[in-house]
Amino acid sequence: MKKYLKINKEAIRVAISSAAAYRADFLLSMIITLLSNVLYPLVTILVYRTGASYDGWNMYEVLLIQAVFTMSSGISSMFFESIVWSTMRDVQNGTLEIILIKPVNCMVYLIVSGFNVYSIGVVIGGIIMFAISIIKLGFPSPDMWIVSLIFFAMGILVMLAMQLLMAATSFKWVANSRIPEMYESVMSFGKYPQSIFNKVVVGLTTFIIPVAMIGFFPAAALLGKVQWYMYLAIIPCILFLCLGVAVYHYNVRLYEGVGG
Amino acid sequence: MNWLKHKYKVAKAVAIVTYKEWSAYRTHSMVSILVGPVYFVIQYFIWKAVFGGNDEVISETVINGMTFEQMLRYYGAATLINYLIMDFADWNLQMLIRTGKFLTFSLRPIHHRFFAFSQKLGHRVLGFLFEFVPCFIILHFIFGVNMVPERIGYTIISVALAFLMNFYVNYCLGMTAFYFVQSSGIRQVYQAIAGICSGTLIPLVFFPDIVQKLLFFMPFQYVTYIPICVYSGEYSLGGISMEIPQIIGIQAIAVVIIFIFSEILYRNAIKKYISVGG
Repeated sequence: MKKYLKINKEAIRVAISSAAAYRADFLLSMIITLLSNVLYPLVTILVYRTGASYDGWNMYEVLLIQAVFTMSSGISSMFFESIVWSTMRDVQNGTLEIILIKPVNCMVYLIVSGFNVYSIGVVIGGIIMFAISIIKLGFPSPDMWIVSLIFFAMGILVMLAMQLLMAATSFKWVANSRIPEMYESVMSFGKYPQSIFNKVVVGLTTFIIPVAMIGFFPAAALLGKVQWYMYLAIIPCILFLCLGVAVYHYNVRLYEGVGG
Repeated sequence: MNWLKHKYKVAKAVAIVTYKEWSAYRTHSMVSILVGPVYFVIQYFIWKAVFGGNDEVISETVINGMTFEQMLRYYGAATLINYLIMDFADWNLQMLIRTGKFLTFSLRPIHHRFFAFSQKLGHRVLGFLFEFVPCFIILHFIFGVNMVPERIGYTIISVALAFLMNFYVNYCLGMTAFYFVQSSGIRQVYQAIAGICSGTLIPLVFFPDIVQKLLFFMPFQYVTYIPICVYSGEYSLGGISMEIPQIIGIQAIAVVIIFIFSEILYRNAIKKYISVGG
């Protein structure tokens, strides 16, 4: 464990210093990611301008859900996303062997050896949105924060599982850069209040593919709209991560290389 | 006449080769068969909630001049039309310039823009077969949304114009690499704004009035919004409603303007071009 933390620390250091080498490019990219984060909630704002609402949820409540989702995806892409691209690249080039012969766990190594500095822009965008919504909605009580934090951590686990599944898919579906797009479309269900969906979708997004944990549940906790089944959804989140880990390892075992 | 025949032969050859090249990756296009309908389902639930939730209220509610039925058709059309007109001419061109490979094109007896256009033709035939057709079947027959265009002839013309528009705009964006070498910043900014302003995420009539009027002078609505409106048979923006043939005329003028612009930009930019080892 200590070994991996050390690798991670080194990866972060390298990523930051390489971003510092191209400061102008880094700043520009940060501003662009920030801006595109502002543009997305714009859709919600435009809908609410007409006087309509998402099934009785007010605008800042919906923005809060989307802010939590944005922060979660920013954090996960900062720390976990590299496994998707490195697995994709290494399987395509046949260079995954190089990692397999190292005295490390391939999956953990690929996660910790990458760090995406550019996602800081996403996290900042999320935090700004989050702060604005919380100020407008009124400050939640401490126990709401605790529940929300637990849900948020679970949501991060779901995000990690999603990244692992994406990476695992790229073993079979070689060099398909659209794999993340596929999983992201499913994750979008976590960006909206669950009450707008029908029972089947609610069931699916809570207990089978628990994407509601990414954005909706932590936000609902802050808004005091927790329901008993949300606590129950912690179990599928952990199971989902186990599934991600198992599927990734299964694919590593099947990996044959190209004899390079 | 011979000139035209020659052009046709070149375009056909390039398009067929591109088609064959990319059909090796046809399963990559087929990701859209999952992604398109999933996003459509999300839009369905969002707008169902926005329109009031239960069936009686929905049938009576009109938001910004659109009924629930029209809204679903709007998003269906947006999904399908994007498969027909999408391209990455900007990425391709900037890559050629940045790596110096553009040199081999400037030596060929063919304009690179024409070459790239022919590539797009081949690539989109693939998109038609593996993205448009399956998604049309899913939306129309499985989801039961009527996806047959209001006026087929006009829709085809408008989509064809949007096809050209998107190509020329992207080509101009790619040409910025002649000046800056690394053009990813400009392209990202454009794509971020286009994501919202082209009308794929939300109908443009939802924007504040002043922004709607401004959009007449920007390229975005000519790429996606107009073909979608022609598809559904009604066009209005910034309080201006227009007949379908009229708006197609305006779209055609926009295409001519961007074509002239791209020609001027090309002639100017090519003078700046210094290739690796050239």
